[in-house]
Amino acid sequence: MNWQAHLPALLLAVPLLGAFATPLFSLGGKTLRNAWFIVVSTFVFLIALALWHEVSVSGILVYVMGGENFALTLPSGMKYPVRIILEIDALSAFMVLAGSITSMAGAWFTLSYMDRFTGISRFISLYFLLTVGMLGMMVTGDLFNFFVFIEIASVASYGLVAFWRDKPQAVEASFKYMLLSQVAAMLVLLAVGFLYGKYNVLNMGALGSVMQMGLVEKFALAMLFSALALKCGAFPMYLWIPDAYAEAPASVSCLLVTVSQASLYGIFRVAFSVYGLSMTNSVVAWAMIVLGLLSMLIAVSMAVVQHEVKRLMSYHAISQTGYMLLGVGIGLLVLADPQALAEYGFTAIKGGVFHIFNHAMYKGLLFLTAGTLFYMTGTRDLNKMGGLIRKSPITATMFLIAAAAIAGLPPMNGYASKLLIYQSSFAIHPFITVVALVTSVLTLASFVKVFQTAFLGPEHKALVNAKKVPATMIIGMGMLTVAILLLTFFPTWALSNLVEPAAKALVDQAGYIAAIMGGAF
Amino acid sequence: MWPKVVSGFGYWDIYVWLIFLAIACFFTMWLRNTGRQDYKEGTYQDEIYFSGNDVPEDGEDISVPADSAYWGFTKFFRPYYDFMALFHNGLAQDYLGYFVVFIAILTALIVFI
Amino acid sequence: MIIGNLPFLTVGILFLIGLLAILREKNMIKIAIGITIIESAVNMFLIVLGYRLGGDIPVHFLKGEVDAMVLPTPQALTLTAIVIALATSALMLSVIMLLFKHYGTLNVDEIRRLRG
Repeated sequence: MNWQAHLPALLLAVPLLGAFATPLFSLGGKTLRNAWFIVVSTFVFLIALALWHEVSVSGILVYVMGGENFALTLPSGMKYPVRIILEIDALSAFMVLAGSITSMAGAWFTLSYMDRFTGISRFISLYFLLTVGMLGMMVTGDLFNFFVFIEIASVASYGLVAFWRDKPQAVEASFKYMLLSQVAAMLVLLAVGFLYGKYNVLNMGALGSVMQMGLVEKFALAMLFSALALKCGAFPMYLWIPDAYAEAPASVSCLLVTVSQASLYGIFRVAFSVYGLSMTNSVVAWAMIVLGLLSMLIAVSMAVVQHEVKRLMSYHAISQTGYMLLGVGIGLLVLADPQALAEYGFTAIKGGVFHIFNHAMYKGLLFLTAGTLFYMTGTRDLNKMGGLIRKSPITATMFLIAAAAIAGLPPMNGYASKLLIYQSSFAIHPFITVVALVTSVLTLASFVKVFQTAFLGPEHKALVNAKKVPATMIIGMGMLTVAILLLTFFPTWALSNLVEPAAKALVDQAGYIAAIMGGAF
Repeated sequence: MWPKVVSGFGYWDIYVWLIFLAIACFFTMWLRNTGRQDYKEGTYQDEIYFSGNDVPEDGEDISVPADSAYWGFTKFFRPYYDFMALFHNGLAQDYLGYFVVFIAILTALIVFI
Repeated sequence: MIIGNLPFLTVGILFLIGLLAILREKNMIKIAIGITIIESAVNMFLIVLGYRLGGDIPVHFLKGEVDAMVLPTPQALTLTAIVIALATSALMLSVIMLLFKHYGTLNVDEIRRLRG
């Protein structure tokens, strides 16, 4: 029996072991605990890489938890799958890769960033639990299991956002996040209950094969879409994001970006693979497009006037999520029309999906550089910073690369995915492209402001004793920079090997169902 | 609706951009090198020009703070930002209220259209 | 028909009461109680889903025939959901305690340092 078949279970088991064994390892001193942290994070990244390779070679991977045979989805001649099944298609593997890279970069960054605080062993446990929750959201094939992983990730992130409990703002941010997120999670459970009550299946693939649109399914779709849109930061519900991302420690902010993308993945899974072609009207697709446009423009207009670095960057996270919603919403709109799908719908989905990976890389890097600025100067306020390029030219270079990527300057990877979205949105209506372009300009404007205020300019007397940036923080940021540069220099490889299988897997509802039901449908 | 969204030229190529950046760097360095090399460091020739005033010692007094960046843009959009500040007022129950209103509107739209 | 659907009506009313509590109450502890009411409503919904009229418990080991059993899966789902609700209620109450220590008040309208 080859070991590659067990990779899905290993992906969830290894960080879980890391989370629960960390207090044991921290008994042996700081170095042992840090070594355990790095070893497990690297191992998770290697598993994710092997998993992606395996999926690109052999198609959809299926793993049954707790059965007599891990590949037997329909045991003893049953008509519907009865166990929790992990189903990894190309889109899941793609997102798992992005999530594991940000988790590893955040892990390296934490080693010296959080060095002077106590309770770091609990921080590391919560960090691993957040990683497990995020990875579980991306690989599971079962709706209730999806809810459980949402809650694991949410509870871990409530604790991590409020980690600096002596700061009132951090605890306040965690409270507001908790309030909104709990209501959303309960709505997800309610929707799962509705669907289970009607069809008696919890598995996403099995549900997709028997789904027929009626009043109950419409309610469930509305609740799932709204609750997951709250978790990822779409327009009227994004208000917890600036508070929570700004007050969390920098490596947690870096990971929380990918956790929000996992909720976005949840929306795509529900809309494409569970509901798919059985949606009778295109309200959800138009809702995604409109929410995407509104999030983009309103968030970036709020970001230009912020004077706190991490709050500015979290508004940009909301705005870039708008791009992803726009791209995939256009794809969902033309899903039933094969000619339009081939012309511009598939390009839009490719753009949206590629943007997810790019965003995880450059937004993670931006949050880590903001953490470096906080480490060097002790403040997050841009009014008090200046001339820091003399202290750390490496940080300034990495910030410049990430800012060029997020603003969509050619030839960076952000430009590639944004170009795909511009081209395909032009076919729906030119106004959409205009809004996306204006957002891009305002993004560039705000990052020019941050770069000029924080790094350029004369040297401040108060910052003469700014702390030197330690090597592990540079390594953490360097990983994300290397990923951005690799995507920049090899765009055609990335588009055809990373993005295109993922986008194909998203539109292929029949393949997703057939992997579970054994080809009977 | 436009029949083809890709112009067919081959939409972009990294090597062309790199050659373009190399040419731009070459022009920048050439322009920079047309300056004079014979200035004496440390004398008045090295000082920045501050409109004839005395240059302050602390760099903090010369630098433009982040709040004054794009002041024209901010001044023009002041009514919009005042409206947005009402929207982002920091009350947790208002945030939840927006969510409830959104989900009500979305459910009504999905069920009845 | 109303008598048969009475549990579902109760679930709906409980959910709305919890939602109203979160939206209208000013005391943070009452908001936390509202969240637990919502969680109880959803758990009750899951259990009520599985009930079959005249059904027996799903693990049958006494003598005698049964013709109907209640569904066991929603009971498993509810157990998981209860544990999750417990963890988040505990965390929420401890965060409220910390907020009281920092801000000195339990009024949610005073917790507004982060805005804009």
